[in-house]
Amino acid sequence: MKILTQLFNQARSHFAEGGLFCRLHPLFAATENFFFAPSARTMNAPFVRDPLDVKRFMSTVIIALVPVLAVSLYCFGLRVLAMIAVSYAVGGMVEVLFAIVRKEEINEGFLVTGLLFPLILPPGLPLWMVGVGVAFGVLVGKELFGGTGRNLFNPALVGRVFLGIAYPVAMSGNWLIPGSWPYGRIFQYASSTTVDAVTTATPLGLAKQGQFAGTFDLFVGLVPGSVGETSAAAILLGGILLLLTRVASWRIVVATLGSFLALETLLFYVLPTPIPPPQWQLLAGGILFGTFFMATDPVTSPATGPAKWAYGIIIGVTVGMIRHLTGYVEGVMFAILLGNIVAPILDEITISLRLRRLRNEK
Amino acid sequence: MKLCGGYDIKMAGRPAVEIESPVEPKELFLPRFSCRFRFSELCIGDGQHVRRGQVLARDPGNHGVPLLAPRDGTAHLDLEKEHIVLRGLSANPPEALETPEAPAHISRELGSVGMKRYKLLTLGAWQYMFTAHNGALPDPFGSPQAVLVSTLRLDPFLARGDIQMKTMLSNFTRGLEQLQSLLEYQPIYLVLPKVATAFAEQVREAVRGYAYIKPVQVPLRYPFDHFKILAKALGLSHDDEHPTWALRVGGILAMDRSLTMSLPCDTKVISIGGSGAIAPTHLTVMPGYPIKELLSARIAAGPVRIINGGALTGQAIGPEQLGIDVECAGLTLLSEHVNREFLGFVRPGSDRRSYSRCFLSALRRPMPERMTTAVRGERRPCVACGFCEEVCPVGIMPHLLHKLIYQNDLDAVERARLDLCIACGLCSFVCPSKIALGEEFRQTAETIRQEHQN
Ligand code: SF4
Ligand code: SF4
Repeated sequence: MKILTQLFNQARSHFAEGGLFCRLHPLFAATENFFFAPSARTMNAPFVRDPLDVKRFMSTVIIALVPVLAVSLYCFGLRVLAMIAVSYAVGGMVEVLFAIVRKEEINEGFLVTGLLFPLILPPGLPLWMVGVGVAFGVLVGKELFGGTGRNLFNPALVGRVFLGIAYPVAMSGNWLIPGSWPYGRIFQYASSTTVDAVTTATPLGLAKQGQFAGTFDLFVGLVPGSVGETSAAAILLGGILLLLTRVASWRIVVATLGSFLALETLLFYVLPTPIPPPQWQLLAGGILFGTFFMATDPVTSPATGPAKWAYGIIIGVTVGMIRHLTGYVEGVMFAILLGNIVAPILDEITISLRLRRLRNEK
Repeated sequence: MKLCGGYDIKMAGRPAVEIESPVEPKELFLPRFSCRFRFSELCIGDGQHVRRGQVLARDPGNHGVPLLAPRDGTAHLDLEKEHIVLRGLSANPPEALETPEAPAHISRELGSVGMKRYKLLTLGAWQYMFTAHNGALPDPFGSPQAVLVSTLRLDPFLARGDIQMKTMLSNFTRGLEQLQSLLEYQPIYLVLPKVATAFAEQVREAVRGYAYIKPVQVPLRYPFDHFKILAKALGLSHDDEHPTWALRVGGILAMDRSLTMSLPCDTKVISIGGSGAIAPTHLTVMPGYPIKELLSARIAAGPVRIINGGALTGQAIGPEQLGIDVECAGLTLLSEHVNREFLGFVRPGSDRRSYSRCFLSALRRPMPERMTTAVRGERRPCVACGFCEEVCPVGIMPHLLHKLIYQNDLDAVERARLDLCIACGLCSFVCPSKIALGEEFRQTAETIRQEHQN
């Protein structure tokens, strides 16, 4: 630790204004502040501050993703790690590049985006596609808007939509079948070219054809699907952590899942064709993962309370409608992007209502 | 009664419940400026001998409130440093002063009530009074709609009202009776943390028949003791003709001292607390007490920030301020942030308390945390987490204001009611992006005020 401190102290002057690597200062600052708490002191009242910072905020999300990661490693093998590595490397590069160009700090947000992105992809996807997708997502979904805090859309979802449109076959045709007891695929590096391990349909796809996977299999995650979306149990574990730490807004979670379940129950009794029951729908596909980890992203969701409720309901209802009333198998991604679009409008509405109430305040 | 927002920050370094008396000082440095007052009108000459209770200077902008000499001594006008220095002090016991004759129009219009109020003003007790709505000094001869007496002090480390009340209970109840005698029919609200206690009952019993007291219960949650919030919660709307008066326990004790005993109010209870204080405590001091002497045995080693007031609303004191000012309610000592924690953000954090529950401490009972002046994170763009809005006690939207200020849209800022902000500092405290919201709001409010003047 001492050595590290000395190292930073020696290097500092090179990265400062006028130093040899002054353009790389954001990189230096990010590395330094990663290891050591920033040295800033309060200048004005309040002279004390809460210990929570954006780093901690984001690392809580990453910790919440650990169960999901563990299950996906078990089910889909070592290749998951490679996907994450590619996503981090490419996404990080774009982030650093933009920070240097803009002379701003490097934001922790990409640590979350870089991890979320591979988790919503099919497990067998070629690695170069992972790289292309994350680059597009971070670039278009975030940096063009001005970086973390100003982006309208969830960057990971933007990347995923891009891949879905650019490479539809790779994105929806080949699904790896999860490994089986006792070792799963922990010791394998299975890609979509491992022919015998591939199926063409996820449980939701099969459901459209009238075949329903077992509810228990859905719960633990022994079904084909995107890397991180299969195991409801692991997602719930992380999701509950997010709710308890207040990182995810409980309003959004309750509104999304509640409205989704309500709609599913309605459709279950109303639709002429048989569809799986609501609890099955909840466990299948990306609804849980999307709700807990993507819809609750504070930047792209509304900031005010009532708007959060409306936002959640819009997402929940849209997911249900896309699943049953369109040709698409899954609609979480589009639903959340739709939510992202309306979020500022919803905020605008609650804010103007609140301002009207505030106007007469003394 | 409806109170929203707020957050109880628990910090180590709470002053003990005893009230100590420090040794007699050799010199007094009376600052001529404090938060509300500017004693610009000098009443003595350089080198003049002054008696205890003599008026040294007045604040012409605030109904001429006096700066009184707390001891006999020789005055030196240290104009450069903006202090009046008293040297060669002698600690004579206080003498009851001749009640000065009130100006004729006051005694004519207000009778004995007017005389009493004039006495409060001249003996330095009126300085403890606030207008609930804006914190200014109210007109001593005006007519309030109600009076708030708060026994709470929730900004960390300021002198606590309950301790003063308990140690000087008879003075306190007598002071309440004096307060009642200044009023006609207006109610006195006594704000207590719990109404249904033996102690609260005792207070009410003691003043029964002499004063019409309405007890009000307010939870111990910062900043619910703020006068503006209390007034709003009690439904006392602001009215320039009939403002709501507000004062704390110290003010009631000053009323007793000046009206019952005719003594000048030249001592007060302050606190010394915070992470940089050794044995945090309460003290009875006089204005002008040299800060250096006061802190000599009480300040911890290493760099320490000295704050006049609480950790959330106070003002840092530089070396140029030599003595305690007349309005000081406590000194907060905070250790400066020096040690940079290694990999701080991944630590479990059972020793740090947070508004969010992102640290292990969420699993244990709230404990006081030892806080320094660290910002504890890097400045980032707003992530729209909404914490600032949740804690804001006046129901405005700090994140929205921040955005509007960033866009420099001052009209919209006004429409978003920046004027309601009471500068409690909670939004800055909780913001994970470490945006200095409070400071931003203060500066913008100042800009808006100037624009309105032009
Ligand atoms: S400082 Fe102002 S805006 Fe911030 S929480 Fe307090 S009252 Fe609300
Ligand atoms: S607390 Fe800070 S980051 Fe969170 S919404 Fe308010 S201003 Fe934005």
